[in-house]
Amino acid sequence: MTELLQYLVTGLGGGCAFALVGSGLVVVYRVTRVVNFAQGSFAVIAAMTASTLLASGLPHGLAEALAVAVGAVTGAAVGLVAIGKPGTPPDASLIVTLGLGVFAYAVEILVWGDQPRSFRGVPGAVDLFGARFQAHYLLIIGATLAVFAGLGLLFARTDIGRALSACASNPYAARVVGIDVTRMGLLSFGVAGALGGLAGILVTPIQLVTFDYDVTLVVGGFAAAILGGLMRPALTLVGGLLLGVAQALVAGYGNGAYQLEVALVLLLTVMIWRAARQPIAQQEAA
Amino acid sequence: MNAARGRTARWLPAAATAAVTLALPPLLSSSHLSIYILLGLAAIVTVGLSMSMGYAGQVSLGQAAFYAIGGYTAGLLAVHGVPPLAGLLAAPLAAAAFALVVGVPLLRLRGHHLAFATLAMQLILLSLVSQADWTGGAIGLQGVPRFSVGGVEFADDIAYAYLVWAAAAGTLLVARNIVTSRPGRGLRALATSETAAAASGVPVGRYRLTVFATAAAFAGLAGGIYAFYLGYLSPGSFPVLLSVEYVVMAVVGGLGTLWGALVGATAIVLLVQVLNTIGTQPGMPAHAPSVLSYAVYALLLVLVVLFLPRGIVPAVRARLDRVHTADRAGRATTGQHPSTS
Amino acid sequence: MLEVSELTVRYGLATALDRVSLTVGAGEMVALIGPNGAGKSTLVNTLSGILSPAGGTVTVRGRLAHVPEGRQLFPDLTVDDNLRLGGWRVRNRDTGPIYDVLPALAPLRRRRAGQLSGGQQQMVAVGRALMARPDVLAVDELSLGLAPLVVADLVRHLRTLNAERGLAVLLIEQNARLALDLCGRGYVLEAGRVVAAGTAADLAADPRVAAAYLGAAA
Repeated sequence: MTELLQYLVTGLGGGCAFALVGSGLVVVYRVTRVVNFAQGSFAVIAAMTASTLLASGLPHGLAEALAVAVGAVTGAAVGLVAIGKPGTPPDASLIVTLGLGVFAYAVEILVWGDQPRSFRGVPGAVDLFGARFQAHYLLIIGATLAVFAGLGLLFARTDIGRALSACASNPYAARVVGIDVTRMGLLSFGVAGALGGLAGILVTPIQLVTFDYDVTLVVGGFAAAILGGLMRPALTLVGGLLLGVAQALVAGYGNGAYQLEVALVLLLTVMIWRAARQPIAQQEAA
Repeated sequence: MNAARGRTARWLPAAATAAVTLALPPLLSSSHLSIYILLGLAAIVTVGLSMSMGYAGQVSLGQAAFYAIGGYTAGLLAVHGVPPLAGLLAAPLAAAAFALVVGVPLLRLRGHHLAFATLAMQLILLSLVSQADWTGGAIGLQGVPRFSVGGVEFADDIAYAYLVWAAAAGTLLVARNIVTSRPGRGLRALATSETAAAASGVPVGRYRLTVFATAAAFAGLAGGIYAFYLGYLSPGSFPVLLSVEYVVMAVVGGLGTLWGALVGATAIVLLVQVLNTIGTQPGMPAHAPSVLSYAVYALLLVLVVLFLPRGIVPAVRARLDRVHTADRAGRATTGQHPSTS
Repeated sequence: MLEVSELTVRYGLATALDRVSLTVGAGEMVALIGPNGAGKSTLVNTLSGILSPAGGTVTVRGRLAHVPEGRQLFPDLTVDDNLRLGGWRVRNRDTGPIYDVLPALAPLRRRRAGQLSGGQQQMVAVGRALMARPDVLAVDELSLGLAPLVVADLVRHLRTLNAERGLAVLLIEQNARLALDLCGRGYVLEAGRVVAAGTAADLAADPRVAAAYLGAAA
């Protein structure tokens, strides 16, 4: 029983990272219809930045916050290249983000080298019904829930959030009403950068991060987000947590080496199941 | 007179390229020969991918998976005593078979969903191959014998160069036939609008699967040759980045044009070689080659997608067309008869 | 209120509007009729700032709001959110007055815009445009796909807004009879050019216009 609880908690922690990355994908996709392949890179860059800042003496909290800000700026920069040029169709933007994700490798290796990095998170351990796990997991889960609640409020209650939803819903009408769709797109990329960055700094204390960790994150994030069709943050959270827990259970009770397959098979199953229910014309329009 | 000239002009570039590439191998040094071979292999994979992406509109981020299947099929068969020719022929068949099986569920997806699904497919395949003992696991498959046909062993690089040339020529001919045939035109309709194509009676599902499997077969064939050439395979030889490279080659050259696949593959392979040479100069840090190649691929891909969206070959063709039309228009208005000029 | 002078708009090499000039005075209702592809929507998109002209000028004394062809609502958002977004340019979030002017919308406030009927959606589109507190309303194909009774109701609202608030209206319509009945003046746009202009009565009486747009038995 305590074992199960332990796996659940570690699974939820890992799942939160996927949920955050996935929510970044959702924010960008809703507003611009672009699938951002560079989403994982925001996490890696933020994690690397945080480790450098911490190593150079900055206190915890400040270093992580700055790292998330770096993530946001990186996100906006990616957005600028991907959608800044007027007339770029979403499929072309997708390939551009793929290219920028590869470019990120070059930057990461150049600045930080190719060795894995980590840093300490929240110290100490917690006892819950006999299961012991690092206190850091509580931070991960707490922060993620707070962020998702914030996202929900943003989209539903604020003017900017409504404008973002408008761009997602009908870009032409958004322009009619006077919303600068490109600027909203850039904003969404910036928010995605911050979300990815947050995922990066939260997960590094429990997971060694190397420059190619972004593939794991973006695949997991996509698997989480696809549950909501890349459009619904709440379902992304559910998807991410389910994925994390499934992986933890497979690792704990089965073979740890198959974690990736779990994510991928889940991803494929959900995608194909959804596609089977959607007529082609609708998929083309999406 | 003009019509005949037009017909000749059309197959002249292809014939010239074929002749030049055929004559090259004996003239190249051994390091250049290995570049020639890798280029040829890349071109074979890219032709299939370019067809898939350009004609059927199917983005694949997992083409290296089929390359790997071809390589491992040929390699495993050869290691267990099967004659190499049979192994080489089995390679594209195995890749195509895998594509047919996987394609049925996968091709229900479109656009970015399909892109991610193919990426997932490759990751799963790589992971499984790394963990299976019978494929050599993460260390890889060693000791693949040299290719031989009827007792004649392919010992030198130059033999493989000709093998690759033959495979590339064959692949291009097959691709050209598919593209210019009636099903091929149905394919082009697919790339623009699937609903419209279906409405016009194009058997959409069957065509998509056929293109997918054919592209896989091409990649499988290239993989098979690769296995014999290198004599050694490991999961590390087929990373996701390789699939991205093929996409870069296809996009840069020009999706859906056969020349584009050739131009793209040539450009990227040569570029990588140049970068490697620069990156391994004395005085460059250890990770310079990888940094340079990642940075340059990425920039090239981004610049081409943003500024030359249809790729190099269509852009060049458009430029040539404009010159040609202006030229003809000029002659027409000045009343010049072509044969007098 | 609205002055368009020598407006030229191009799509690549094709000229969609060729030196088009028209005016809409304060409190006027002006019709713009013409066949499909004449450039009417191009004109409105240019007025609305979505397209940029290659030549000529557009001068608006006050604000212009655009009711787009085909409604173009935000289908996943509620009626109230749709209206609220209409006030984006002027930072107006107060949807109350709209429900006063268009009371039929009040019971629909929380409904998703995509689930409404065509007529209801058209009303939301008009309400959304009104949120920008415009001085001129450019209405593109109001009657498209709507039943005559529904159109009559919408027209009544427009007339009231024009009479009581002095809201100027530029009515772009393929249904020429509707447009000329409602408006005092009109223009006929064909293939990007203004081919006829005058009072509604004059246009209706013009035999060419009558034959092309009103049916020979006008």
